[in-house]
Amino acid sequence: MKIYALSIALLLALLPGCMTMAGDSDARLVRAKNKVAPALVHIRPVKEVFRGGRRQEVSVLGSGFIISRDGYVVTNEHVAGESKLVRVVLFDKEEVDAEVVGTDKFTDIAVLKLKTQRTDLPVVDFELDRKLEAGQTVLALGSPHGLSRSVSKGIVSVTDRYLQDSGTMVSPYNTWIQTDAAINPGNSGGPLVNLRGKVVGVNARRLGGADNVGFAIPVGIAEEVWSDIIEHGRVERSWIGVTLQEMVSVTDDADREGVVIGDVDPLSPAFEAGVRPGDVMLSIDGSVTNARFEEDLPSVRKRLADFPVGEELTLGLMRASQTVSIEVVTEAKGDIKGREVELGGWGFTVTELTPAIVRRAQLPNRQGVFVSGTRVGGLAAVAGLRQGDIILRVDGEKVDTLSAFQEVYRDRIESKKPMVLLDVKRGAVTLYVLVKQGAAAPARSGD
Amino acid sequence: MRVSLIHRGAIRCSAVALVTFVVASGAFAISDRQVARNFDAVEPAVCLVSYSSEVRNPNSGESSRRNTRALGLVVSAKGLVMVHGHMKLQDSEPFNIRVEIGKGDDTKSYGAKLLQKPADVNVCFLQIESKDALSLRHVKMSERKLSLGDEIMIVGMLGESLDYARASMLRRVGSILERPRRTYCIDERVPFGAVGGPVMNSAGEIVGVVGFDLTAQEGGDLYVRSGHPLVYQTKLLNDYIANPQSENEQDDAWLGVFTQPLTDDMAEYWGLPKEGGVIVASLVPGSPAISAGFQRGDVITEFNGAPIRARQNQEVLGFTKLVRETGVGEEVEVDFYRDGEPMTIGLTLAGRPKSANDAGEFESETFGITVRELTQDVRILMNLSEDTKGVIVRRVKPGSWAFLGGMRPGVIIMDFGGHPVTTPEEFQAAAAKVEEDKQKEVSVFCRVGSRTRFFRLEPRWGSATETP
Repeated sequence: MKIYALSIALLLALLPGCMTMAGDSDARLVRAKNKVAPALVHIRPVKEVFRGGRRQEVSVLGSGFIISRDGYVVTNEHVAGESKLVRVVLFDKEEVDAEVVGTDKFTDIAVLKLKTQRTDLPVVDFELDRKLEAGQTVLALGSPHGLSRSVSKGIVSVTDRYLQDSGTMVSPYNTWIQTDAAINPGNSGGPLVNLRGKVVGVNARRLGGADNVGFAIPVGIAEEVWSDIIEHGRVERSWIGVTLQEMVSVTDDADREGVVIGDVDPLSPAFEAGVRPGDVMLSIDGSVTNARFEEDLPSVRKRLADFPVGEELTLGLMRASQTVSIEVVTEAKGDIKGREVELGGWGFTVTELTPAIVRRAQLPNRQGVFVSGTRVGGLAAVAGLRQGDIILRVDGEKVDTLSAFQEVYRDRIESKKPMVLLDVKRGAVTLYVLVKQGAAAPARSGD
Repeated sequence: MRVSLIHRGAIRCSAVALVTFVVASGAFAISDRQVARNFDAVEPAVCLVSYSSEVRNPNSGESSRRNTRALGLVVSAKGLVMVHGHMKLQDSEPFNIRVEIGKGDDTKSYGAKLLQKPADVNVCFLQIESKDALSLRHVKMSERKLSLGDEIMIVGMLGESLDYARASMLRRVGSILERPRRTYCIDERVPFGAVGGPVMNSAGEIVGVVGFDLTAQEGGDLYVRSGHPLVYQTKLLNDYIANPQSENEQDDAWLGVFTQPLTDDMAEYWGLPKEGGVIVASLVPGSPAISAGFQRGDVITEFNGAPIRARQNQEVLGFTKLVRETGVGEEVEVDFYRDGEPMTIGLTLAGRPKSANDAGEFESETFGITVRELTQDVRILMNLSEDTKGVIVRRVKPGSWAFLGGMRPGVIIMDFGGHPVTTPEEFQAAAAKVEEDKQKEVSVFCRVGSRTRFFRLEPRWGSATETP
């Protein structure tokens, strides 16, 4: 009985303490949210998309946060990229138009500038000092499914998740913060915040079909990118044309350090300099490089990319148990996606050739244009042109660039030339496609 | 259109069923003694065919190997065997084919290769491979017709637990479909082991084999789920039996060009007569056409004296067929237009290079991987440059060392464990060397899509050659 009474007394003594702890925790969450929320914005860009051989404008939803008192806003490239008009709703529900200052597909970061005279806008703080740890509580702020001003809570699941490239969704220069804080479509571009109320990441992706497996770009790398964009309008990176692989892809021996060269782009600076697949890169300009696991690759890629364009680098390589040094002069890294235009008269869309397309199509050079879509019933489709074709010549004349092709196309439209012959590469074969301008009946053509 | 066809078929079946009742008593029947005689005559030609195929799980994308057995019928003394067409499906090619002939201790087992699966009847033809000349007991087929209600005898096979014993079954022609071609439907279901088995009439003549569905060419997909046993009549099979041909006969001639029809529009554009022809759109590197001096844009109008008048896509096939059948070593003249001017080139036709279906394969059981020679057709299909050397991975056994190392079908191996690989034989030698050296880690340099990369395999030599 005595013990029972004592237990009750203990319980009563502890209870208020427990309640206070819970109250503290809530208060910390609220404080953290309140520090960031005023700078949180809801973004409604009107994006340009090319689909089915047409240029279309679609309205999308996303999130972002203000980083300067005069109105620079950070969001995702996949939210604001390729948009002409961006409408931003501030936390106090004021609606402001914004312009796209610049975007970076390689990190999925975009910077907007609000069209406002205000210089007293609330801004976020970034956590650049403290290292993030798995298990730490974080909040995701944004507009899931368009529901603006939403906050969700979770923990950091992993601090350095490596995500493989998937089509144009790439992240060569960063690993990701994985979190179980609910991230849904619309959260993109919103901040991931720690309990000190500071931004630790930019929410950008989630794993489809999974429960709360979301990913944020670490604020450190995001900050470098948005600073470059604000200063130069874009991020300039160096390129030497190598694809790196982690050491464990060739050996489990932890004593063997370096980074494996898995692929070398033909005609790239590295190829010209004599770098070959199978070489193991031990150093860049004398400083050691090592990527044992794939998570270690982004920092090595970033080191290469961060060199100024045109710089001569000395790569220390291990080749068949011999060390060799090779000088490589860097070139500017091209865009992941080329410029795209709709050519309504023939009902199709074309893009510039990127190095990736050139490589995939085994082209000897970068001359030609890529057919990105054809409209059902359009002259191009009726003539037999298909998505994925590469147009090499028009009426026997080479087309070097997209601009050159646009010019020839305009000429043929204006001159109303009855038939225009295209030399097209499709896979390993080339074929002729005859476009009949103003054709009433479908033209026959080879496939 | 398809719906109405099913409908018509259904009505006809029910109408025929009524007639069956009326005429059954007047149809031919098979006596007990005839059953025994038929069985003895046919049984030696009924054999057991086993083969493997790759099955892909549509959900996980993982592929696994399935071993299947089927009834085979020996149709020539030289080892031509007929099996039901299910053996080769659209996306799965059989491999490791073996044919067992005879029973008990006298059973002989042979390797075999798939010769062809005709488009107009759902059977596969296999050729037994043997160093010695074969003289096998085989069946002769008769083109005698059946009538509604006729009794038929089938020789099939029982299941594995009954040692695939041969068995006779008596059935009747239950109905006759007139379209898409005259087809006998068997009145009752037959066990799965009877599919492909010989069908005999009351005179003991083999008038066909048991089938299960029609070919896609004759609208087979309409009936595919009916599961109703049919008779594939001899007249559909006899030509293939008399002239067994590989789908990829190596003595086919080729020019090595990709062509398009000369449409009237194309002719007008180039100022050529609107009489048809084939445009040389692409030339295969190293092809006879290149050696003979053909160029892209040439328009062929006459080949070996035969006018070429293709104006539509399907008509180009006629030209391809003409070249193929002209024969290797033939000297031919080709008339064509180049830049509007008529020209003639004479050339000697060469044989078509080996295709993927004829290509040599090697399966490394140790690594769980099967590789195939990189043939010209695969190079074109995958858009590989001529300087890409290696072997293409056809199959990776789930759970094998290659599988665990991340290798998958379609990858091109260029170096295996430090040994450059350009042919299946070189791969075999490399795999043997790696095994002999008991390499702890095997670095495999491959082309995946348009890029190259390394894979690392970690064999566990301790467990002999067993895969994990």
